[in-house]
Amino acid sequence: MRERTAAWFGRRTVLVVFGALWLVPVYLLLVNAARPSTAYDASKIWVPDTHLGLFDNIRQGWDSAGLGPSLGSTFLYSVASPALAVILGAMAGYAISVLRVRAGFWWFMLLFGGTVVPTQMLLIPLFLGYSWADLYDRRAGLILVYTAVSIPLAAFVMRNFFTGVAYAIFEAARMDGASIWRIFWRVYLPLALSALWAVFILEFAFIWNDLLFGLTLSQTDTVRPVMTALSSLSSAYGGSTVPVVLASGLVMSLPTVLLFLGTQRLFARGLALGQF
Amino acid sequence: MSAPVVPAATRRVPGAATAPGARAGGTRRRGTWGAIGFLSPAALVVAALLYAPFLYTAALSFTKYDGLSSPRWVALDNFRRFASDPALVSSVRNTLMWVVGTTVLPVGLGLLIALLSFDIRGGSLLRLPFMLPYALSGAGLGVIWGFILQDGGAANDILGALHLPGAHTSFLQHWPYNTISMIIAWTWQQTGVNALLFLVGLQSIPKEPLEAARLDGAGRWRLFRNITWPLLAPLTTVVVGLALVASLKTFDIVWVTTQGGPGRSSETLAVTMYRDAFVSGDYGYGSAVALMLTLTTSVVTLVYLRRQVTTREGLA
Repeated sequence: MRERTAAWFGRRTVLVVFGALWLVPVYLLLVNAARPSTAYDASKIWVPDTHLGLFDNIRQGWDSAGLGPSLGSTFLYSVASPALAVILGAMAGYAISVLRVRAGFWWFMLLFGGTVVPTQMLLIPLFLGYSWADLYDRRAGLILVYTAVSIPLAAFVMRNFFTGVAYAIFEAARMDGASIWRIFWRVYLPLALSALWAVFILEFAFIWNDLLFGLTLSQTDTVRPVMTALSSLSSAYGGSTVPVVLASGLVMSLPTVLLFLGTQRLFARGLALGQF
Repeated sequence: MSAPVVPAATRRVPGAATAPGARAGGTRRRGTWGAIGFLSPAALVVAALLYAPFLYTAALSFTKYDGLSSPRWVALDNFRRFASDPALVSSVRNTLMWVVGTTVLPVGLGLLIALLSFDIRGGSLLRLPFMLPYALSGAGLGVIWGFILQDGGAANDILGALHLPGAHTSFLQHWPYNTISMIIAWTWQQTGVNALLFLVGLQSIPKEPLEAARLDGAGRWRLFRNITWPLLAPLTTVVVGLALVASLKTFDIVWVTTQGGPGRSSETLAVTMYRDAFVSGDYGYGSAVALMLTLTTSVVTLVYLRRQVTTREGLA
């Protein structure tokens, strides 16, 4: 009994100590993002300031780094691209598992194989090709590339999902004379809503947090995604104060932090299936 | 919603209306064209934006190309330059540090947190501090840790207050401290999600063998060593594999925290590739670095998965 009590305390103590350690950066982030920009002093970072400067800091980041338009564009990318990707992925999954296209396995491998292509292999041709096609520094260009990188996971999940749906449904609908388009839109897509939603959320977070495509394929404040804007804001030449940079980082991270805390398990599952 | 969904394995039971190949010729042909219509948008986008650039980068890696004049074939020159390029050598060294550091620290700590917080009351609350950082982007992480690690910043303060060495170290200004401290920042971010993955694994382990062994008087360590750890093995393979692949491609946090500097001392291969191509405009060489990174990642992943699979078959 005594041993059990010791273990009980031991487990909690270790967790609390590590947990407190893990919260130190969060504390520093919050305290210094909320500090008035003018009151920042590198030697006094541990004590909260009595004045709340958070909103002023956000406004400064908003004005000087163009966070406002950047947030709007990023929102567009993070919603439009996964939406397109889940629909195109669902269509491909439907063709493979329900319509049973010839050589379906190879089509599947072609689409899913896209996940193993490293970003570094894409950047140079995309940059050169986008410059040539006048897609460089355009929202359409970024939507297109984010859609492309989101399709493999969407196709993978949707193909697996549709494989689990009874084939008799398809046959019954065919007997009733419904076209394959109609069956897709009216029967299969509504069935798959929960799976589509899960993929959408994962892709949303991935695109929201992307830095590299934004860095390579965009330039102006209004087009470049938030993480790219944040990266230039925080660089030595950004000229912003520490509280402004931290407050901007906080605002930009909020959407994914909230999303993640709401859907932790989904993320873990999606991660495990997305990469292998 | 649940009614029409049946497991894949039971789909082709006898009595289902028709077997796949038994449709009439006309329907089948129309079905095939229809199916290709459904497939082609996704296939075209993937082919044009993922496969075509992949092949083009592979081709460019055998050329010298500045983006202005047309690419000039130089065969293996770019790859021969690797050995004599100090930036690349240090970049390989840093990437190796990332690989070792991130497959050990966040995975090990994640496992520890999962084991400690599994099956206790308030476990999810105790895990929350580890989960918070995961939702941050690599760029957000770089911003926070750049602030913590700056000269005379929080890291120096803490070490000074604890009378530990490092109170006056400029962590981001000197190799290897810059790479090591960024690995620690990465650990701070990744531990939570690894804990979450391990927790999912722990929950799927049946309770009976553990109970039986406990009744037989096995201690905690023996329970872990002989039951939990072997049963977690498939999941550990995935978690370590994920960390491995991600670590080889480390870019965001390094770019935002140090931009690979000072000099080029904290660059990883992904940063080197970006800098050579887009800062120096040396697209041929940048492509060669990208190709090498890709080959390394593929080989490492294959060897790792193969070893894991054969080891497990050997055990069985």
